[in-house]
Amino acid sequence: MFKYLLKKEFTLIFRDLHALMVLFIMPVIFILIMSLALKNSYSNSVDSPLKVAITSTKNNKTIKVLINEISKNALFETNFIKVKNKKEQLYQKNYDFVVELQSNFIERIKLNDKNFKLNIYSKPDIQVQKIELLKKLITGASSKIILEDLLSQQKIKTKEVLDFEAKIKNQFIYKKEGFEVTPTSVQQSVPAWLVFSMFFILIPISNTFINEKAFGTIDRIRSINVSLFPILIGKIIPYYFINQIQVIFMILVGVFIVPLLGGDSLEIKGNYFLIFIVSSSVSIASICFALLIANISKTTEEATTIGGVSNIILAALGGIMVPKFVMPQFMQDITEYSPMAWGLQSFLEVFVRGGDFSDISSYVYKMFSFAIICLILAYILLKKRS
Amino acid sequence: MSISIKNLKKSYKNHLVLDDLNLDIKEGSLFGLLGPNGAGKTTLVSILNSLIPKDSGTIQIYGKDLDKDSAYIKSICSFVPQTYAFYPKLTSFENLEFFGALYGLKGNELKQRINYCIEVTSLEKYINRKAYTYSGGLKRRLNIAIGLLNDPKVLYLDEPTVGIDPQSRKYILNVIKKINEEKKTTIIYTSHYMEEVEYLCDEIAILDRSKIILQEKKDILVEKNSNIEIKTTNGESKKINIKDSYEEFTSYITDIKNKNIEIENINFGHKSLEDMFLSLTKQDLRD
Repeated sequence: MFKYLLKKEFTLIFRDLHALMVLFIMPVIFILIMSLALKNSYSNSVDSPLKVAITSTKNNKTIKVLINEISKNALFETNFIKVKNKKEQLYQKNYDFVVELQSNFIERIKLNDKNFKLNIYSKPDIQVQKIELLKKLITGASSKIILEDLLSQQKIKTKEVLDFEAKIKNQFIYKKEGFEVTPTSVQQSVPAWLVFSMFFILIPISNTFINEKAFGTIDRIRSINVSLFPILIGKIIPYYFINQIQVIFMILVGVFIVPLLGGDSLEIKGNYFLIFIVSSSVSIASICFALLIANISKTTEEATTIGGVSNIILAALGGIMVPKFVMPQFMQDITEYSPMAWGLQSFLEVFVRGGDFSDISSYVYKMFSFAIICLILAYILLKKRS
Repeated sequence: MSISIKNLKKSYKNHLVLDDLNLDIKEGSLFGLLGPNGAGKTTLVSILNSLIPKDSGTIQIYGKDLDKDSAYIKSICSFVPQTYAFYPKLTSFENLEFFGALYGLKGNELKQRINYCIEVTSLEKYINRKAYTYSGGLKRRLNIAIGLLNDPKVLYLDEPTVGIDPQSRKYILNVIKKINEEKKTTIIYTSHYMEEVEYLCDEIAILDRSKIILQEKKDILVEKNSNIEIKTTNGESKKINIKDSYEEFTSYITDIKNKNIEIENINFGHKSLEDMFLSLTKQDLRD
């Protein structure tokens, strides 16, 4: 009997074109868009640097040195321009910054001149961090020019001393030795939208289940002396396989399709068994959640609305739509309550940080507990309503 | 008796749906269960199929108690709901295969039963077409075919001809009659179409306001209602049951002839089942 329960569910799923689109096409589109859109947020390379216009009454050697120093930072592309209208430069010439300074600004700094002024103009939507970075680059370059002057007056050879910034190097320490996966947008996007799409299994589950109830098919099955529990279990297994196909499909998209469009390639160095544990936990949690929604709802429209909205809220809270690390602390704390976050964090632990079972065990337990609670509630509701 | 119901009670919250209901249905009977909306027909059929529990009373089906031998009773009964209780995206064959497996059929036995059900309902040409592409009549036939998979001793048919054309309806009624005659299957048939019940059933019960208000063999019902009404030119009218009182009829005719009174009209009664149903259920509109 179980064989035919599975056969029936598989046939129904593969004949539901809309559900397959939601389960496979929608996440692929999200993965491609978000991997490419967030590429620079993760990468050290800069595709389009911020344009800085340095303006002053005249362009002298000090200003050229300043421009040269700022330009060493790849984030900025700096030019000297005689600016008459700062607004025009920002909004028509598309400069991100206009830096207005006095041509003898170094001398004024040295003399501690009260009339010294250096103004930075920018559009209001420029991030504060970028303004602060430009300020630091200007003060750093100015200090360097002043120091160079002082040292040359003392006849001290300066080249080696002044290039100390080049000596400062950042080195990544990876959580697991030998597991050196650089975090990229694709490393975040694939697990994030994979978890999201796995939870969207609720669309086909609720559609079939609610139709079974509405058309009296469940009553017919109950009149045949089949208990409801194998019917629920019979739904979990086929959808579990569908979820696993999703996992393989999305990983292949991350590895092969995203690089074709200019994104980074997904690196899979994690333990395959742990990936299986995580994907199984997410799958069981999402299917049981779907069964609960299918039993709460009376119509397919209701299920699609309740399920869709719940999924979007869980995704927004769970760091799917916005990466957790860009959230403020209190929002990061809230993510701990979203089952999607448990799945995403588990995948990231395995994919990016090379974590072992102890790193994902708490998330796995939470997902299984969530699944059991949903399944029990679904069973109670089904018994009560039938 | 195939079904024996004693003092059955069922209520939802404070609303009494079945009140001390007693009903006996003979083996091999084609039993018509009538009643207006909300009379309790669906509740009764649901209880008989163990879909909802009863409050009190006893039900025996083929000598087995429904409470104690529910599994056996389910194995010899089959329920064909009013809705299309199958999977529209599966073909007829896939639907029959799935439900057959739920009945515990497998291998050759499953194939043979599927073939029999297809043949009885004449679904051969449509067997590999998805059910959602079917007409209403074909869907009804598939619904019945699934109900025949376990070769039931008792078959519950809940309004199996709703929403289909007259040809399909006639075909389905004949299928039901054939099953009853050939297999001696006890069929409990609920419907709002009185002429169907009158055509099909050999025994009829009317359920109204939680009680069985009439249970009788169809032939007896017809006989009881073989009245004729004679209207004369002097404005008198007389009702006579010609089956029971043939002598009264002849003497009345002789009498008016002797008095030179002419007959204006003779109304041959044979009150239809629908007339009886309406007069018994008081004709008031139900929710």
